[in-house]
Amino acid sequence: MLVSFRWLQELCPVDADVAEVAHRISLAGLEVEAMEEKGANLSGVVIAEVRAKSPHPKRDKLTIVTVFDGEDEHQVVCGASNVPEPGGRILFARSGAVLPNGMEIGPRKLGGVESNGMICSETELEIGLEAEGIFVVDADNGALPGTGVADALDLHDVILDVGLTPNRPDCLGHVGIAREIGVLFGTGYQPRKAAGPSRTFAAGSSFQPGQPTTKLTSLWDTESEPIAAPKLPEISIEIVDGDRCPRYGAALVSGVKIASSPSWLRYRLHNLGLRALSNVVDATNLILLEWGHPIHGFDLARLSGSKIVVRRAAAGEKMATLDGVERTFTDDDLLICDGEGPVALAGVMGGLDTEIKDDTKDVLIECAYFDPRSIRRTSRRLGLQTDSSHRFERGVDPEAVPRVLASAAALIAELGGGAAATTAVDRIAAAYEPKSIHFRPARAARLLGTPVSKDESLRILELLGCRVVDQSDDVIIVEAPSWRPDLGREVDLIEEVARVRGYEQIPTAVPRVHPSETGTASLLKFVDDLRDAAVTSGLFEAINYGFLSVDDLRKARVSTNAVALANPLSEERAVMRTSLLPGLTEAATRAQRHGATEVRLFELARTFQPAEDALPREDTVLAVALAGQRSSWIGGDQSFDLYDGKGVIEAIVERVFGQTPDLSPGDMPGFLHPKRSALVTLESRPIGFVGEMHPDVGDDLGLIGRVIYAELDVPALHALSQELGPTQARGLPKYPAVARDIAMLVRDEFSAGEIADALREASKGLAESVKLFDLYRGDQIPDGHRSLAFRVTYRDPEGTLTDKRVDKVHASLARLAGDRFEATIR
Amino acid sequence: MAEPDAVQTFEDGLADIRGAYAEALRAAGDEPELRLINARYVGPQGELTKLLKLMPKLPGDRRRELGQAANALKQEVQAAFDDALQAIHRGAREAELTGPALDVTLPGRWQMPGRLHPITRVRNEVLQIFVSLGFDIADGPEVELYENCFDKLGFPPDHPATDEHDTFFIEGNRSSDAESVLLRTQTSTVQIREMLKREPPLAIVSPGAVYRRDDDATHSPMFFQLEGFLVDEDVTFAELKGVLTLFLRRLFDEHIAVRFRASYFPFVEPGGEVDMSCVFCRAWEGDRARTAECRVCKGTGWMEILGCGMIHPVVFENVGYDPEKYTGFAFGMGLDRIAMLKYGIPNIKLLYENDVRFLSQF
Ligand SMILES: [Zn+2]
Repeated sequence: MLVSFRWLQELCPVDADVAEVAHRISLAGLEVEAMEEKGANLSGVVIAEVRAKSPHPKRDKLTIVTVFDGEDEHQVVCGASNVPEPGGRILFARSGAVLPNGMEIGPRKLGGVESNGMICSETELEIGLEAEGIFVVDADNGALPGTGVADALDLHDVILDVGLTPNRPDCLGHVGIAREIGVLFGTGYQPRKAAGPSRTFAAGSSFQPGQPTTKLTSLWDTESEPIAAPKLPEISIEIVDGDRCPRYGAALVSGVKIASSPSWLRYRLHNLGLRALSNVVDATNLILLEWGHPIHGFDLARLSGSKIVVRRAAAGEKMATLDGVERTFTDDDLLICDGEGPVALAGVMGGLDTEIKDDTKDVLIECAYFDPRSIRRTSRRLGLQTDSSHRFERGVDPEAVPRVLASAAALIAELGGGAAATTAVDRIAAAYEPKSIHFRPARAARLLGTPVSKDESLRILELLGCRVVDQSDDVIIVEAPSWRPDLGREVDLIEEVARVRGYEQIPTAVPRVHPSETGTASLLKFVDDLRDAAVTSGLFEAINYGFLSVDDLRKARVSTNAVALANPLSEERAVMRTSLLPGLTEAATRAQRHGATEVRLFELARTFQPAEDALPREDTVLAVALAGQRSSWIGGDQSFDLYDGKGVIEAIVERVFGQTPDLSPGDMPGFLHPKRSALVTLESRPIGFVGEMHPDVGDDLGLIGRVIYAELDVPALHALSQELGPTQARGLPKYPAVARDIAMLVRDEFSAGEIADALREASKGLAESVKLFDLYRGDQIPDGHRSLAFRVTYRDPEGTLTDKRVDKVHASLARLAGDRFEATIR
Repeated sequence: MAEPDAVQTFEDGLADIRGAYAEALRAAGDEPELRLINARYVGPQGELTKLLKLMPKLPGDRRRELGQAANALKQEVQAAFDDALQAIHRGAREAELTGPALDVTLPGRWQMPGRLHPITRVRNEVLQIFVSLGFDIADGPEVELYENCFDKLGFPPDHPATDEHDTFFIEGNRSSDAESVLLRTQTSTVQIREMLKREPPLAIVSPGAVYRRDDDATHSPMFFQLEGFLVDEDVTFAELKGVLTLFLRRLFDEHIAVRFRASYFPFVEPGGEVDMSCVFCRAWEGDRARTAECRVCKGTGWMEILGCGMIHPVVFENVGYDPEKYTGFAFGMGLDRIAMLKYGIPNIKLLYENDVRFLSQF
């Protein structure tokens, strides 16, 4: 909310500059987010008097004006049509002045006529929004020519932008913030009576007999001149739904003349972010900004039956609101109605038909207390957030109704030149009940960790406006003030005491933490281990949004049975991902488009699968994508292939488990290449898959080149790690190993893995390992064949192997290869 | 039958080998050449071996003497060979030590490790600090029940406190907010889940993804938060201040100032926000001119970094803890924001574009 420091000082003067005040209220919870000094950037702009004016000889719309700026006369060419007659005063920017928008004023020629300076409008000086015509100084302003405009128009102010939390509706007006300043500076806040209207009338016959009324005269600080009561129809106010409208007050102002507001009011509204419209509307806005309590003015003549009925809407009932939109209501909406139908959407926006118009003479001013929840539901359902709904849904002060009405009636009467009725209707359907709260200083001390005395607590609570109902040595019982709906239980008051004293008064201490016996769940630690392993294996971590489009899922051939958002930001982000594939491969492609030649990404995140339960299943998955080329400064670049993916998966699993996983053909997901992919198993348990993307899917997803994609099932891996337990150490071999190579020519249908396994098995426990070290195709190798060379490492745990024994076993391996795999030993 | 010529041949042979070998050694340039020469004269198929084949033809009385001569030659040759080899090695090493250096700027031969995402890095750092203080790590689902995200945390129904939580709802039958399922807007949901599961004392931190319907220059619809809370008997606001001050100093700089301001979150009271000295202009160093020009703290020297407070009794009531017996504090922070502050990341969008040029910087 924008706040005028000047206004605050009028309401609650404290001996502190604006920086100090801003600092104190910020620490106490009213965060000042920005400050702007007003009236400081207008040097060189002064009051000047029009001495003469004549039409421009060549240009119709221009006027040649002679002005006196207190020192000299200047000739200026002016484009406005409202240049006053000689003797009138205007705002004159001297040659050399720089306007707030950066424009520098200098002598120039317009249509061949010398112009020395500029006559300014509100918008040019950024003191208002009126761009039509120049600013003409009010006749009752006595400023002499040559007076600086900021002094002459009294423009000096500092505007604070205060960020308010939703628990503090009391601070949505200047009175509330002034009250808070009084509390924080210890001066307290003395509410003052409103400036009274000049003319009043007795409302006697204006309100239907039997209406509960309240006297406004005692709330005005000046005597007024009574005039004869105008002839007005009898007004009645009726509350049908007292839950949604516990209190409804109405004051009356008669005989106003709609005109534009004086410049001080226009300027104040402008600085506080509101557009000045006309005196009566501007007055209601000023009251809103002063009290934080929205009021509404009805044109009495347009209220059919002179009647106000506060009731719920019938479902489907319609009314056009002030913004010109026809609204349809539900039976959860509260309406202000006249004898015929709705005239306002309670607490949110007035109706178009009864708004104040240029011919309005008599104004009925509404000031009510509406149930916050009801206003909020209506405002949310209609998507209609207004200054009014903003305050009502947070909770205005129900007890402020008479004071606000008194202020509003006086102001409207004064600005409109009318007279205010000395009484107002004040209907109470449900009386305000103050909340009674027990406060224990000892409890406050225990929660804050610092001593809290009863005396200090009493002082602060009373400053805040709490009424002390009772007290003993260790309990204070108070009633919270009506403007603080957020104060309802003891802890609310503890916060108040802490806040008013200042959080900086609380010392710092280090707690004794009782470490838990279980510690962090092992799955979370395991996930971190996997992430580290992925990084160590050369992968860069990606983080994608959890949502994407159904189309992404469809193109990727992953499950489209997805958790859908009811209110997505766009179709591109409409469902929760069922797979990490679309996001990760897209990231890889984007990287390639940005010029990356070698993309190695992983993501460790959740997928979401619809489930029978209220909540979907969230599975943690580790996904890997390799795209582009494996760069090597020796031997040139080569496109990533299955073996790069396999290597990465092996490296990750090796690092976490100390074991190498196996790859085997199996039932592969449809997005992988059927001939270039494999399931990953560890200890014969499936833990994931790796492969080249299916070229068709790659095309659909717009991938560049053959992307390698792999996934590891994190919960399955974790379960396996729990089952296997920590790695158990083995004794080191006592006897030396002997290595022998065996090279063979075999048909492609036999995999290297199965041959190696068979060789190891056939060694009767002597082969410690069988590793492929060469694969060759090409010259001298028949089609459909390849040459494989294995290195067999023999070791006998029981003794040193003799050459003879090794020769014998090795020969048996060669025979086996020949027999079982029809291999030709080379 | 002894052959007198054989003696001559044998003696000449030894002399020839001696002479030729010495000459060849002098000419030899490197080790392979040296070994070749050695093989030619004294190897298994070498000249000396051939000569020794004449032994049976030598007269018996000379055999012993000539055999000894051949052995002497063999040893002589071996010694010469060793010397020559050593000289060559020395020369080679000398050349290596004084010759041209390797081009050390050529790329190393190793699989370079990848990088953690900056959010993960920051998350790990933050977790490490809290774990060292005795906190456990926990997590919770990203798709949540409305009641865990709002009601149980003390958000009043139909209250503007939810305005800052522009929520993504999950499609499905729901007649009211309270029955709906949503993407959690805050990691505070884990407070509810853990407290319902366990009894005090509790000291838990919980990082994770959260979602809000904001997508503009400074907001990402998904971002990361970290929630922490401690519940025990007699936990105080002073301890909340102590823990967070210590945490921020460890995370950023031991010299930073930390200040607590009153603020409002429905699930804590007293509630606050924490500001720390601006880390961009290093406000704690007191260079006023530098701070005055700082765009990050707008010249104030402070930056907002955390939300915190004492856990509201209504939260304890909602999870079945006795609020008279237990007190606790809770705090929350945006990991994205901390990553941005710590690494000087200018734009939140960079965090979710997965541009390798960006990821490889951390
Ligand atoms: Zn700074």
